Amino acid sequence: MKDAKASGSEPLEDVPKPGSVPPVKITGVSQAQLSNGVEILVVPRPSVPRLEFRLSVPAGASMGESAAVSELFAMGLPLGTGTMNQSQLSERVQDLGGSLQVHQDHDRLFIQAAALAEAEEELYAILAELVTEPEFPAADLATERAKLLEGLRMAKATPHFPASEALQSAIYGDHPYGRSEPGETAVRRTGRAALLDFHQHTFTPWGAQITVVGQVEPRRTIGRIRRAFSNWAGPRRVPQVPAVRPIGSDELLFISRPGSVQTVVMSAASGPTHGHPDHIAVTLATAVLGGGFSSRMMNNLREDKGYTYSPHARLENHLRDGLAVASMEVRNEVTAAAYAELLYELARLATTDVPEAELQTTKSYLAGSRVIMLQTQAGLASALAQLRAHKLDHRYLEQYSKQLLATTAAEVRAAAARYLAPTVMTTVMVGDPAAAEGLDALAPVRIQRTARRR
Amino acid sequence: MEGENKGEQRSVRVPPPLTTYFLDNGLEVVLSPERSSPTVGVGVFYRAGFRLEPEGKTGFAHLFEHLMFQGTTKVPKPHFGNLINSAGGLLNGFTRHDYTAYFEVLPSSALEMACFLEGDRMRSLDLNQETLRNQVDVVKEEVRVNVLNQPYGGFSWLWLSQYAFATYPNAHNYYGEFADLEAATVEDAKEFYRTWYGPGNATLVLVGDFDVAGAKAVVDRHLGKVKSRQEPPDPILDEPLPTRRREFHREDPLAPTPQVAVGYPTAPFGHEDHLPLALAARILTDGRSSRLQRALVQEQKLLLHVGGGPHYPIGDSFEFRGPALFTLEATPRPGTSTSEAVSALDEELERLGSDGPSETEVERARKRDLSAYHANNDSRLGRLRELGIMAAVHRRPQLVDELPELFNSVTPTDVARAVRRWLKPERSSVLHWEPSAQRRPR
Repeated sequence: MKDAKASGSEPLEDVPKPGSVPPVKITGVSQAQLSNGVEILVVPRPSVPRLEFRLSVPAGASMGESAAVSELFAMGLPLGTGTMNQSQLSERVQDLGGSLQVHQDHDRLFIQAAALAEAEEELYAILAELVTEPEFPAADLATERAKLLEGLRMAKATPHFPASEALQSAIYGDHPYGRSEPGETAVRRTGRAALLDFHQHTFTPWGAQITVVGQVEPRRTIGRIRRAFSNWAGPRRVPQVPAVRPIGSDELLFISRPGSVQTVVMSAASGPTHGHPDHIAVTLATAVLGGGFSSRMMNNLREDKGYTYSPHARLENHLRDGLAVASMEVRNEVTAAAYAELLYELARLATTDVPEAELQTTKSYLAGSRVIMLQTQAGLASALAQLRAHKLDHRYLEQYSKQLLATTAAEVRAAAARYLAPTVMTTVMVGDPAAAEGLDALAPVRIQRTARRR
Repeated sequence: MEGENKGEQRSVRVPPPLTTYFLDNGLEVVLSPERSSPTVGVGVFYRAGFRLEPEGKTGFAHLFEHLMFQGTTKVPKPHFGNLINSAGGLLNGFTRHDYTAYFEVLPSSALEMACFLEGDRMRSLDLNQETLRNQVDVVKEEVRVNVLNQPYGGFSWLWLSQYAFATYPNAHNYYGEFADLEAATVEDAKEFYRTWYGPGNATLVLVGDFDVAGAKAVVDRHLGKVKSRQEPPDPILDEPLPTRRREFHREDPLAPTPQVAVGYPTAPFGHEDHLPLALAARILTDGRSSRLQRALVQEQKLLLHVGGGPHYPIGDSFEFRGPALFTLEATPRPGTSTSEAVSALDEELERLGSDGPSETEVERARKRDLSAYHANNDSRLGRLRELGIMAAVHRRPQLVDELPELFNSVTPTDVARAVRRWLKPERSSVLHWEPSAQRRPR
């Protein structure tokens, strides 16, 4: 094996052959809609005596007047209501064997909760009170502001945060997806009144979706949700994220971070999201490039060259756009050499067919990891909550494997040429300026001496 | 808690079935079937962690974990990952203080293939210069991305124990000094493999969709023929407990604000205070209703964040045998010094130790543990991890299913006693993590 390198796809003796990846089956699904617009989807999954709850509201980080408002709103929700402060809220949830988190992506705010199955009804009562009557007490809000500011200072001290912020801004420009994190002044200026206003006008039950997966009886669960959430009122208007007009740049932006012992490399391009006809082909292309242990970035940049620890590529699915991202952290001396290999892999994917065995491995990997992720209550609930924002549901998950298997190498190549070619990717690096040496042989380079201030 | 669950059925806890036995070559086998979805988890846990890597070979246990993915004589690089992925499976490994774990989660039809591959790399790993040099480079990049190029890199798990403990096994750089990583040889790797990676020093865990008789036959076929090796002696790890508080300072050129960690050597597994300290961790730090969050973040407004527990933040009460720390980590609010933060932590621990928790607090902590137990059982990796750790580290896989009952017998008095005994200032080491006077220009 020392002379001719194994490609990893030639057959081996003795290795027992596995069967094919089983299909995803999601049974017993019940759906309903409340008169205030809330859409409910319940999946019985009695594997363990718990339930997972997701409420997704179209009130994401790219909505509202400013990033400061939407982010502080999400941080402020767990501060409780008029009848229970933050520690009482937390006690009540924990007494159900439960948990409660609020998080946000560009498009939606998610309340993620869980409890022992026996406590289902109490969980909904607590969550409904929180959703309809959040309090945002001024004194506690001041602490959340301080946490947010500290979090932002810390993020800016990492190499990854400035890289992804610059990349999104280069690709999305003034679109809300390109919106940067709030500045200190905006955070300090955002008070309780702004959050209550966001609650009244943006955080609306129209377009809100509840997903429950667990040891539940769907009809009874829908009745319980109806009783708990029916008096949530709000404008009959779903906030919209505008269509994306991606910009991008041919210039490689190198953000100087003197003293860095590694360069963070991120390349990305706007692409299709869930439901788009090219979505599965691009998902496959990014997985061949950098998904998992058998991907090309892994084999070339890590297992052959030893340039990096965890190179990867993925397709991020926002509501109005998919962002295909390839990223890696490489030591200073090999920054240009590693980027040359990444460009080579992008170009190879766009110009030649993925060999059948490699394509098959990638399809199985994607289909199998989907089966594994969907097998837990938590994994299924989160996946459904994400997809439902795209107006898709469990049937999409069931058909996914079939569509994967039907996708051809020619379709993957065409998708890569359109969405992942070196000419369509925008690249940002963050590192010591000395590591930029040699990059100008590969792309026009613009060095940014200090991290951007806003 | 009385008065809840009005008329509703309380879920009765029926633990999943569990079969454990030993092969002739010494390999412990743990089988936990659960057939509600067509996947299996396969894990091999070796009793070989950071602590037993030889002096001058810091980081070797973790480096060796990487080498386990570098191919065998029968299945050369890069087939291992490709085979798992093309079966629709996921794979990874992780190294901790007292064990290293390897796992695959895959469709049930790939169970035999996974057992074959684990047996194969237990028997005939191909250790050679080319893959060793390659993985030394990769591990150095891992250290850079997780530690050297990040603010608060490795804080506090990688550093606090180096200050808090006195002897090499407990107090060295587990990720590895670069000079040591670079000096690693194929001979070192062969020796480490021979000594620590025999079947007698390992536990195989299968969870998920299989029938026990069929799985036993598969295990026999592929792991039964691995030759037994001489079982290594348990390493000697114990060291005397400290008698006075020691304070350490470390500068971080990337950190924008100070943080602080306090580490107390914690009660070992089997000690009467071991389980009470696990509950104490929840009572002190778990969620917004926990004592430290309520008193120090919300009421006194001294901290922005606080977290902690036994082996925090890379494990829990059951991840170790031998000395380990109960750690508290805090981010002071601007205007509060790290020393003021530590005094405030001291006061809260003192209060918990003298007054004890309420019965409600203890019951809440138990509920959280029970819920976490069920959540783990819902995931192939979750259950496999718990079983593997209990088997490899404590040689008691059954403990996973016994714990909810055991926690029921812990009383508020037990918690108070354990806190008084173990979480006291004179036992602790404090690490002040501070921005450098000259921060790197940005």
